[in-house]
Amino acid sequence: MIGLLWILLLALAWTAVNGEFTGGQLAAGLVLGTLITLFVRAPGSDYLRKAVVLFGFIGFFLWELVLANLRMARDVLSPRQRFAPGVIAVPLDLETEGAITAFSTLLTLTPGTLSLDISRDLKVLYIHDMYAADAGASRMAVKSGFERRIRRLLE
Amino acid sequence: MNGSFPVNGFIEVTAMLMMSVGLVLAMLRLVRGPSLPDRVVALDLITMLGLGMLAVYSMATGQTAYLDVGIVLTLVTFIATISFAYFIEKGTGRGGGN
Amino acid sequence: MQAAVTGTLVLVGAGLMLIAAIGVVRMPDLFTRMQATTKAATLGAGLVILGTAVNFATFSVTTRAVAAIAFVLLTAPIAAHLLGRAAYFLGVPLWEGSVRDELRDRYDWETHILDSEVRPEGALPPDHPRA
Repeated sequence: MIGLLWILLLALAWTAVNGEFTGGQLAAGLVLGTLITLFVRAPGSDYLRKAVVLFGFIGFFLWELVLANLRMARDVLSPRQRFAPGVIAVPLDLETEGAITAFSTLLTLTPGTLSLDISRDLKVLYIHDMYAADAGASRMAVKSGFERRIRRLLE
Repeated sequence: MNGSFPVNGFIEVTAMLMMSVGLVLAMLRLVRGPSLPDRVVALDLITMLGLGMLAVYSMATGQTAYLDVGIVLTLVTFIATISFAYFIEKGTGRGGGN
Repeated sequence: MQAAVTGTLVLVGAGLMLIAAIGVVRMPDLFTRMQATTKAATLGAGLVILGTAVNFATFSVTTRAVAAIAFVLLTAPIAAHLLGRAAYFLGVPLWEGSVRDELRDRYDWETHILDSEVRPEGALPPDHPRA
């Protein structure tokens, strides 16, 4: 109940700050208010640290996305095909299903990797990698970059 | 609505030209295949190009409604791709899930 | 200023989508083609839509643009994952230049169960059903 009141207050504040009272503004305010209350009321956490981690993660993801596209452009446009693709198995440290879903989804948008399937016991993720010549190095790169960050954010 | 000042003709025409060439290339893959998933990938790309073209067209004409068309287009294609994948997987005897 | 930002975003986005289309024609097998489309087409479409939002600079267009970008970013990887996996188990071959396939030996083509380890008896599972 008190949460609803907060959402309504935040929505009104949003419309006030935007300077026009319309249905669209109010709807946007309601959505934002809901998100904010959800985020702030997460049990047992200090919000500032979490926010810093979240924004760091978004920045890291956008950078990876740009990098992925630069590499893709190079692979597509270079006259000789120098990539050595393959399917490699990545053992997972993540445990919750939500974290695994987020990890495999974001992995598809990062340089050179495309998630294919996961083993029945949710312990190994199979990915297609454009540069699979050194499977150990690929595994390390994926695990130390994305998986570590997702663990810090979600688990 | 004050949103209808065209950027300038050059940018829109160039972007449209690039995406049209992309469309032709994607069509080539759609026709050539060789496998069904290849064609689905080509269709997916055609939708993305359509979304981009609609966005540029909305800029050129000042009609924001084309953006909604683009959003609905991606929605429908997403569902189509998923059902394609589902039926392809069914055809392997693996069933829908793991 | 606004026109310059719009122009850059739209042209870079259109260029990325063109690269994705070239990749779809040039790349040697389905999986490398999917690598090209999921990355380049996603960011490309996102940039073009972002450019549209900057061009109109109104509340309603911006919300729609943000929704469209979020939607593309969310759906493209999911569609790619579903399609890639369906294609793999359909028996779409990897390019002959591929250097390894660690999935093949851990999948039972009879029972359609994907293990996390290579099967202990060391016997290779039956071949792709339609390779």
